[in-house]
Amino acid sequence: MKKNRKDKILDRRELLAGMAGLSALSMVPPAFAQAAQAAAAQAAASGKVLVILELSGGNDGLNTVVPYSDDAYYRNRPNIGIPKNELRIIDDHFGFNPGMAGFERLYKDGKMAIVHGCGYENPSYSHFTSMAYWHTAAPNSGDEYGWVGKLADSIAPSAPSNYLVNIGSRQSLAVKSEKHVPVVFDNPDRFTREAFAAEKEALDIVPDIGEVENPSRRFLLDIARSANDASALVRDAWSKYDSPVDYGVNDLDLQKVVALLDAGMPTSLYYVSYRNNSFDTHVFQNNLHRRLLTYTSDAVAGFIRDLERIGRADDVALMIFSEFGRRVPENVSLGTDHGAANAMFVVGNQVKGGHYGKLPSLTELADGDNLAYTTDFRKVYQTMTQGWLGHNQSANLLGGDFGTFDLFS
Amino acid sequence: MLRAPNRLVCLAIIGFALALQSSAGTAENQGLVTWQDDLAPIENADWNYETSAHLLERAGFGGTPAQVEALAALSPKAAVNSLVNFDPANNHHLQAFEHSGIHDPGLEPFPPSRPATTELAIDTGEALGVRVKPEGNRRLQPVVNKFFYWLRASRLETNRVAYWWANRMVASSNPLQEKMALFWHGHYAINESKVRDYRKLLNELKLFHEMGTGSFRDLMVAVAQDPAMLSFLDAGVNLKGAPNENFAREIMELFTMGVGNYSETDIREAARAFTGWNYVDLDFVINEDKHDDGVKDFLGHSGNFNGIEIIDLIMDQPVTAEYIASKIYRFFVREEISQALTKELGNTLRDADYDVAILLETIFLSKDFYSAPSVGSQIKSPVQLAVSTYRKLGLESVPGVPDFNQATGALSQSLFRPPTVAGWAGGRSWMTPGLLLERGNFARDVLFPDINFLPPDRVNGSSEIRSVADRIRQGLDITSATQPSSLGEGGVMAESNMLADRDEEFNTRYGSFRGWQMAIERVIPIPRHTARLNLSKMLEDRGVENTSEAVDYLLARFMRVKPDNKTRSMLINFLSEGLGTTSITEAQSYMEDSLRLVLHLIMSQPEFQLG
Repeated sequence: MKKNRKDKILDRRELLAGMAGLSALSMVPPAFAQAAQAAAAQAAASGKVLVILELSGGNDGLNTVVPYSDDAYYRNRPNIGIPKNELRIIDDHFGFNPGMAGFERLYKDGKMAIVHGCGYENPSYSHFTSMAYWHTAAPNSGDEYGWVGKLADSIAPSAPSNYLVNIGSRQSLAVKSEKHVPVVFDNPDRFTREAFAAEKEALDIVPDIGEVENPSRRFLLDIARSANDASALVRDAWSKYDSPVDYGVNDLDLQKVVALLDAGMPTSLYYVSYRNNSFDTHVFQNNLHRRLLTYTSDAVAGFIRDLERIGRADDVALMIFSEFGRRVPENVSLGTDHGAANAMFVVGNQVKGGHYGKLPSLTELADGDNLAYTTDFRKVYQTMTQGWLGHNQSANLLGGDFGTFDLFS
Repeated sequence: MLRAPNRLVCLAIIGFALALQSSAGTAENQGLVTWQDDLAPIENADWNYETSAHLLERAGFGGTPAQVEALAALSPKAAVNSLVNFDPANNHHLQAFEHSGIHDPGLEPFPPSRPATTELAIDTGEALGVRVKPEGNRRLQPVVNKFFYWLRASRLETNRVAYWWANRMVASSNPLQEKMALFWHGHYAINESKVRDYRKLLNELKLFHEMGTGSFRDLMVAVAQDPAMLSFLDAGVNLKGAPNENFAREIMELFTMGVGNYSETDIREAARAFTGWNYVDLDFVINEDKHDDGVKDFLGHSGNFNGIEIIDLIMDQPVTAEYIASKIYRFFVREEISQALTKELGNTLRDADYDVAILLETIFLSKDFYSAPSVGSQIKSPVQLAVSTYRKLGLESVPGVPDFNQATGALSQSLFRPPTVAGWAGGRSWMTPGLLLERGNFARDVLFPDINFLPPDRVNGSSEIRSVADRIRQGLDITSATQPSSLGEGGVMAESNMLADRDEEFNTRYGSFRGWQMAIERVIPIPRHTARLNLSKMLEDRGVENTSEAVDYLLARFMRVKPDNKTRSMLINFLSEGLGTTSITEAQSYMEDSLRLVLHLIMSQPEFQLG
């Protein structure tokens, strides 16, 4: 008989059958320890994990990694340009925004790659549109599925459970997948059905797939079970998680990623974001932006340290992006407007730190006084899918072969 | 397949449990499995309540038992005919969309961005029908306010258009017209956040209503010349010498033929034929001096083709009829369609000269449509889920609480806001564990309205904007009021930190706040009534006497695919415990709450998601 998703879940259930369940209410007790062992074995076999952090709103790359040695920067930003003596200098040309102690440390430890000038042809200045392009890896076009979803479909077409995790208030287009069911949740403690007290017991029952013929019905029963199981796994992983590492004010859900990794969740692809268009700094940028970057920097630095604590630091690479950068000249409200090309960051123990890509010119600006892109962002995507995850069929999901940067040791 | 007998038994039980008139033949549908891919019409003898319910669910949004019974009383041909070849006079009770009156001619043409608007204002002294102040601080503020006003007002008005349409979906006597419009809406996907003009979206919807079941060729031409699509695909920047391929590409890749049936050269040549196509306000225009009327080589033909001729050449391709026919099939019937069936349906559509109604008749009358793989196998889209739930509850309008757009958006489908030009993926992508839980939450919000509901067309979703509003009311100057909060998102700054009001041309954040305020002054509020429900009366009218009958009635009325016996027993026990008795007659005066809880449980079942 052809192996399908139902069989995968049955196998796991057979494993679990002997164990006492944690939840008396579920008909299929999620015996967590057993599942964790099985999952950890699977994870070790598959190896690498990719985490994507989306900074929504259009992060101002120029005030993040400041090209202080270029006068054009200060000419364009007489008010919001950051003076050299305030910067965290990393070399003769660049310094990080003063709030980014974590990034400075990571860069100097050789764990951070900065890819300059990432963007795409004919950029859109709309948050929604440009973010959709980044989510689908289909700029100036469209796709029903996200690039991370397509990646999952391509690497693991048999679609094992819990392969993709998206932490957020709703499912991102980036993880929308044809075959996989992404685990999407926000608050692990609330990753459970919102039901009235009287109903809870009734709702926890998921019937056996058994003799069910209707394939759509089988799929939905799988989903229902996955909802119960995944939510139980997530809640348990979170309740067991206890870390001394300081992530700062806003961990950007990276603690949840570590919690799931530590619990042996068989997930290869994680997607988190700094939400609500927070980086959309049109007015009075500097203090706000510095705060946002501080939180981001602290969270990422904490994440790497926490990964080292649980012994998974060599398995994980983190990619950071935003839907566009911001205009080179400041605006009249001491802020910046929507721009185009931007820096991307790749962080991890296996990363060969340094600068990558070609620096966009600050004097020969593209349409609307914006940075002209020098690297198609899909090259960075391919660097992660092919260079890091070792997946050679990237051309299909990215709509072309964009090559890779030699980013990993 | 050996499992067929189980299904027949199951069907017989369902037919039995209905306790409604059901014609002979329910348990005798041995043909169900062998009917797959058979386009021959279903026989009168096989027509019954179940087939009618299936037809109404797919060709429309389902209905009450009475509405299904009405269809079952007709012959299959008459039933399908009444849905597909609908009479517009049936809908005399439906109103036209009531405009709030937010637009004025000064807003045309609307610049592509706020910087473009302020630049225009600086250059010419005026923009959006608003003059730049000759002197004083923030001379451009009124212009900027108007810019944000239009963005907010158009978005709110688009939500009202969505509500108007959802109301039609619930109340229309011609549900196929609305269902077909929904199909075209996903096919010709455009998004409000780029178009930024509710009027264009409303006009495009009108095309789908009026031409949705007519000639696909005529519809394609109409949409290609519709300002909404032209604006969305940047056709206006498609000029001789610099043709914009986006328009041509999407027409061929997404709207007619699909990838792989044309070359990149074809795209470039087609783009040349569309040069000069533009719009002024709501009217299509061709700028002849921008049009490239040279010879184009397209799909093996040569000539001075214009845009319409390109479309006709596309229609001549065999693949076009197959592409559209199979897409319509997948929307109404099931995801998997064989090559042979694709060809057959393509032929049907082509032989009918692209008349969509004829294709629909063929599909809805076919045995394949009523075959086992086709029935009860579709995951309801969020809009289908909401509308069919309202119809089956017997509502005549869409409740204002929960907010329709918020509810369907949380389930990942917002009318007028498809994620990309490729529309919604549909099928299984409507479902994830989180979304399954959300569907249960939607049902809860309908049956037990949230008393803390905040209308999104009054309360602004951004805490930053609300913070600006508070600080302005407290008397802070604009500079202080728009400082990003140092107490985290949305926290209000202490008054002792007030800064001197800056000299500036304009303040964007203030414009964002004031624009919202101006918008809600004008946009008609969405009525916020809840669903008028009386489940007790519903059961009483049907003469239900005990909790088993009650559950069976609800299962039959609301579910196209029934859950297993264990679930049925659980529901009956749940209801009996809640009522403290198994007698419905006894519990008459207090059973509404328990009935709603049971219905919530039913609507949270995985099987409820199937239509």
